[in-house]
Amino acid sequence: MSSDTSPAWQKQASAILSGFLGDWLEARNNPLALPMEVFHGRDTVDPQIPDVGQPGTTLCLSIHGLMELESVWNLPGQQGAHYGSLLAEAGQKITPLTLRYNSGRPIHRNGEDLATLLEALVRNWPVPVERIILIGHSMGGLLIRSACHYGHARGLRWVEQLGDCVYIGSPHDGSWLAKGAKATADLMKQTPRDYLRVIGEVIDLRSAGIRNLSRGEVVSEEDGEPPLCPGARHYVVCGLLACSRQHPVNALFGDALVHESSARGSERKGWSLSGIATFPGIDHIRLAHHPDVAGQLREWLL
Amino acid sequence: MNEQNRNWWAGVADIAATGLNHGASKLERVHLSIADETFDILQRVPVTRPWSEGVRHIHHGISRLSYRSVSLVASSLGMLARTANSPESFKPDIKLHE
Repeated sequence: MSSDTSPAWQKQASAILSGFLGDWLEARNNPLALPMEVFHGRDTVDPQIPDVGQPGTTLCLSIHGLMELESVWNLPGQQGAHYGSLLAEAGQKITPLTLRYNSGRPIHRNGEDLATLLEALVRNWPVPVERIILIGHSMGGLLIRSACHYGHARGLRWVEQLGDCVYIGSPHDGSWLAKGAKATADLMKQTPRDYLRVIGEVIDLRSAGIRNLSRGEVVSEEDGEPPLCPGARHYVVCGLLACSRQHPVNALFGDALVHESSARGSERKGWSLSGIATFPGIDHIRLAHHPDVAGQLREWLL
Repeated sequence: MNEQNRNWWAGVADIAATGLNHGASKLERVHLSIADETFDILQRVPVTRPWSEGVRHIHHGISRLSYRSVSLVASSLGMLARTANSPESFKPDIKLHE
């Protein structure tokens, strides 16, 4: 059960600060750095002793993005419902879970921890796990790829049960905003004027997680570029700011933070996707809690 | 206020103090480098050349003293907050990304 009684605004502030400075907060052991935790509804789930009432044979884990909390999944006007809980309502023995983590840490370190956490969760789950569904929004999608790589590399058992991975607005080829921040910081730091170099240094204070987003890095440098996890189905959901697909604003900004091509992983080699859906008129954040996306997930995953 | 809440505010105090400390040192650099632009011009003008360097030294000295006082106070407050709230919970000050 949850022991976190802090108000929602404090949790949200911790999530935002963790996104900006998460690696630094963690290095200082600052209590604002969010730990990695699994939730079932509002209750935390201990991966060593998971207690969720009626455990299903399918685990559906929803993973938020940078500076977000699990509350990003909450569908508007539907008390606590999210994509996972809607799938569970369809009676497929699905247990909906959500993840909370420090999104400012390097993605590969969160990926390693998630792989370990999933292994413990599957090993200790009260009934045999037959299928795992991972749904990631934005950075959450990169985290899925990272965890799959480390789970596969270590021969962890949960990878065999992995059935579906859904990447919602994930910047597989990087986010234009993160790329812009990096380019601006690099440019400013090369100028001869000290006041401009300071601006570059301030932009450079961004966390390792944000840095990873500029190129969609999911593993450490020595691990190269991992393929999509074999044996699982992979789906991509993209958003676009304007309702008309051809609108120039879509070409410039995509869903506001991620271009459609990046969400599809167009620059990645050897990807075989089981489904791609683009939703014009739905921006980056609303992709995580939109009825149209929920309908698409139901079609793919049930 | 429970312990969880106290720790949270201690974390905020840590960030605020570190931010103020680093912010003051960055602002010092911005202030002095912008001021140097003006003093460099004064240095080129024959009428102001004789005294511009002296004024620059006085200006920079007072500015450095002011900003570093703020940094020092911020560091002390941050240390105080860490010690008062949770002596074991924070590691010694480390540098932000360089």
